Amino acid sequence: MKNTLRQVFHSSKFVAGFIIFVAILLLMIIYPLINPGNPLQQIGVGTFAKPGTYVSLYDATKAPVSTFRLPDAAEKRLGTSLSEEDKAAMVEWFEAVGADISDLDTNDTEKMLEMWDEYYDPSAKPKGMIRAKILYYGRLDKSLKEMGSGDGDSISIAEPNEEGVLEETKKILDTDYVNTKEVANVKTLPLGTDNFGRDVLKELVSATGTSIRIGLIAGIVATLIGLTLGLLAGYVGGFLDDIIMFVTNIFTVIPGFVLLILISYSIGQEQRGAAVVAIVIGFTSWTWTARSVRSQVISLRNRDHVNLSKLSGHSLVRIVLTDILPYIASYVVMAFILQVSSGILSEAQLSLLGLGPKTTEVPTLGLMMNWAMLYSAHTNGSWWAYFPVILTITLISFSLNLMNTGLDQVFNPTLRD
Amino acid sequence: MKKLISMLLAMAMVLSMVVSTAALADEATGDVELPREETLYFAGQQWGAVNSWNPIGTNQNNSMGIAAGAGWREVMFETLYMWNVLDGKLYGLLANDDYEWNDDMTALTFTLKDAAKWSDGTDVTAEDVIRTFDVGVEIANGTGSSYGPYIESVEGEGKSVTINAKLNDEGAPVNPLKILDFLELTPIAQAAWIDTCYERNGGDATAILNDPGDDVVWSGPYTKYFADDQKVVFVRDDNYWGQDASMWGKLPVPKYLAHAIYADNPAGENALKAGEVDVCQQFIGNVQNLWLEDGLPISTYYEEAPYGVCLTMPTAWFNMNMPVIAENTALRKAIAIAVDYDSIIANAMTGQSPTFADVPRSLMNPTDGEQALYDHDAVADLQWTGNDVEGAIALLDEAGLVDSDGDGWREYNGEKISLNAVCPNGWTDWQASMELVAAAGQAIGVEITTYYPEADAYNTVFTDPDQTEYAIFMWSPDASTPSNPWTRINQFMGMDYVGVTNNWSGNWGQYKNEEADALIKQIPLTTDEAELKNLYTELTKIYLTEVPSFSLMYRPSVFHAVNESVWTNYPYEGSTYTMGDGTEVLVPPADCTDGFGIAALYNLELVG
Repeated sequence: MKNTLRQVFHSSKFVAGFIIFVAILLLMIIYPLINPGNPLQQIGVGTFAKPGTYVSLYDATKAPVSTFRLPDAAEKRLGTSLSEEDKAAMVEWFEAVGADISDLDTNDTEKMLEMWDEYYDPSAKPKGMIRAKILYYGRLDKSLKEMGSGDGDSISIAEPNEEGVLEETKKILDTDYVNTKEVANVKTLPLGTDNFGRDVLKELVSATGTSIRIGLIAGIVATLIGLTLGLLAGYVGGFLDDIIMFVTNIFTVIPGFVLLILISYSIGQEQRGAAVVAIVIGFTSWTWTARSVRSQVISLRNRDHVNLSKLSGHSLVRIVLTDILPYIASYVVMAFILQVSSGILSEAQLSLLGLGPKTTEVPTLGLMMNWAMLYSAHTNGSWWAYFPVILTITLISFSLNLMNTGLDQVFNPTLRD
Repeated sequence: MKKLISMLLAMAMVLSMVVSTAALADEATGDVELPREETLYFAGQQWGAVNSWNPIGTNQNNSMGIAAGAGWREVMFETLYMWNVLDGKLYGLLANDDYEWNDDMTALTFTLKDAAKWSDGTDVTAEDVIRTFDVGVEIANGTGSSYGPYIESVEGEGKSVTINAKLNDEGAPVNPLKILDFLELTPIAQAAWIDTCYERNGGDATAILNDPGDDVVWSGPYTKYFADDQKVVFVRDDNYWGQDASMWGKLPVPKYLAHAIYADNPAGENALKAGEVDVCQQFIGNVQNLWLEDGLPISTYYEEAPYGVCLTMPTAWFNMNMPVIAENTALRKAIAIAVDYDSIIANAMTGQSPTFADVPRSLMNPTDGEQALYDHDAVADLQWTGNDVEGAIALLDEAGLVDSDGDGWREYNGEKISLNAVCPNGWTDWQASMELVAAAGQAIGVEITTYYPEADAYNTVFTDPDQTEYAIFMWSPDASTPSNPWTRINQFMGMDYVGVTNNWSGNWGQYKNEEADALIKQIPLTTDEAELKNLYTELTKIYLTEVPSFSLMYRPSVFHAVNESVWTNYPYEGSTYTMGDGTEVLVPPADCTDGFGIAALYNLELVG
């Protein structure tokens, strides 16, 4: 046993896969300790908040102020509200209203803004200009007005006094800064929020756990069924073999995924918890384990030590468990790993079709993708809602397959170096 | 050599497959080439192939030609009057502008326009209106079943028509409001064509309802040009009577109206983004990103949220067939006040709806006209804005619905209260709402699980008056017609629909309240405004106290996002159509086809 383990851990492929898998498992265990709470809690109002750090504006106005005179502050401020495209559009407007733009330098922002003040008229409707464009200029004008003139600008905070008249209580200068450490509420969302306003990273970690559990249950169910039937068919042979192989062949011929869809659909969403889905996946993916175990057993059953056991009068169960199973154990473990991997993928596929576990209870990787797709995350640029999920699924099945290949190299004599 | 042959064979096979699929693709797109500059493309109405062009039939699946959205789609078949959702007025189409009631509202008279003609050149006459109504009652089509109970008879001669209301035992009209609905929602069919159709089907009602109507005669500005399972195209009828000065005085601008049949919402949305669709009647989440972030020439009716004109309220109905729901008003109210409506509006509607703080909940839609109909102060104590978990818990505790076995869920009569929240699968904004209702249940210790059956299955169950499968389920009441808000209130609490099988009409939760029903019955016959306001206020009180259902959001009945790559001058906030007499009438964002919204087609211009 010790020797086997040493051999296994000499395989670089297995080690690589193992490290990735353990890293995922560790993240699953550690992250909820750092960031506890219900992963399905809706913290954001609205859909798909971008990844980043969110600073409470309310608290920031109350935090102690430091003054910095940064040389590029005004430029940066301008940069966020006036892009090159906006400048080009401003020139278009000047043209449309017939301003003289022969010696206009678009890099001279001050001159541009001056001209804008002179020529922009919110009620003007230049001929041939579509409404979307007119609205765009309205928004541009607003953002230019909000940007202010540049130096020495301030924003006032006013609160109603006893008579209900607004009274300035604080002035924020454009040179005022606060340290984020001194702001009471700062929330970092490394992967933003999803369509329900849930923290994607927290949900992802929890979903990975559920999906791995689904994979494990599916793998155990599939391997148990496959192993039992394969052992019986292979060792007992004869009529029992015929019957088992008949059933196995039927299941092999019907595409497993179609069967999976039909069963999930007929169970109905109300009954589809994560465990039920896992068991259903297990019940539809045992066939090739059964077939290959059977063929291995057939090659084993006439070996001398098996015959010796038979002559000694050992029972069928004992012979199977002590004389046959240990010889195919490495193979079964490898098959199990692959079953786990395909179980996770099957859950994701099912959920993507809307046939996964019911959605209110636990997050799963497939459900996260399903909701991201229903809310068109892929077309509206909200990559954080689905890409990390795809990456996680890929990493899990990649690591499991890597481990399987590593084991194969160790245990399969034809592949041994 | 052998290798070479097998390779050649393989290549030949691949080639033939490519050629045959290319040929197939050719066939699939059809051979209609439409000039882009003369075609207005739609999305979000037609799903699947058109079944029929028969305006007196049923199940036509012809949403551009024979359907109603924010008013009847006046594209091919026209109604007597056009409904304008913005000002709540009826504008004459086949009929002249003024209709007149007699003193006790038992008869309504109007005249048909002299210019109004059928596509075969004959006049539209009283005979056509009479025959349309009579055959509707005889074969029980939509017209017959909707208006048969309210209209006794239609009579008239030449261009003059009188509609006689059905009277109740006291000699008063059953519901004059429904007669106004008839004016704007019933497409008039030609009497001669109805006779042809009637004769070829031997007078058999089912056969008439299913007649494909390929030889139909129409009165509208467009007619069928091409239809298959890929798209449907209408072409302008350049002999359209409406170019007479008494109506529009000109023809609508686009020569073709085309609607490609998309697989789903995202497909239609992508086509809109690509400029392949001009007018999109689909819910688009975060629609503002299309112009703010993607910089596309797309706009909506209002520049700011809610972007559209909200006319209806998708509602969660409590199933009163379930004793636990029917016997516990506190449970109903607790769930309703615990739901986080702000999240529903922000997530499911992505902010495209006023909140319940902006427009407090009642039986009315958010338009100014309906909001003025009830006394806001009198019901202020009963209204809720949601997310009131503590209040809900207090209500449940007070009503004795407590968790006595410590499993975290409350019980009623010793049994765990376990409900489901149901809506059709794939209706994402509704699904998101149901998720939030379930979350509210979790917060107050009432188990609510979501369930999304396929739409067909859903429709069968929720229209069944005896169903006990769905505890909380969604459907929208009526949006805007001349008879609203009465129709909507009747749908919320009226007892007309209790026990009706295949119930598509209203009161899907089977709520029974004699008092409310009596008040509802009084409304159509009340003309005194103060008295009306009183009735509406009383009904709102009952509704908010009893909570037979709760609205989740306000929503447009048709969405309106337009791409200005090819066409421009679509209706937007405040834009008007200049009528023949010079008056300016607001054009509603009604898909450029519904009710008075069709005026938009006369205002369109090409870009550049």
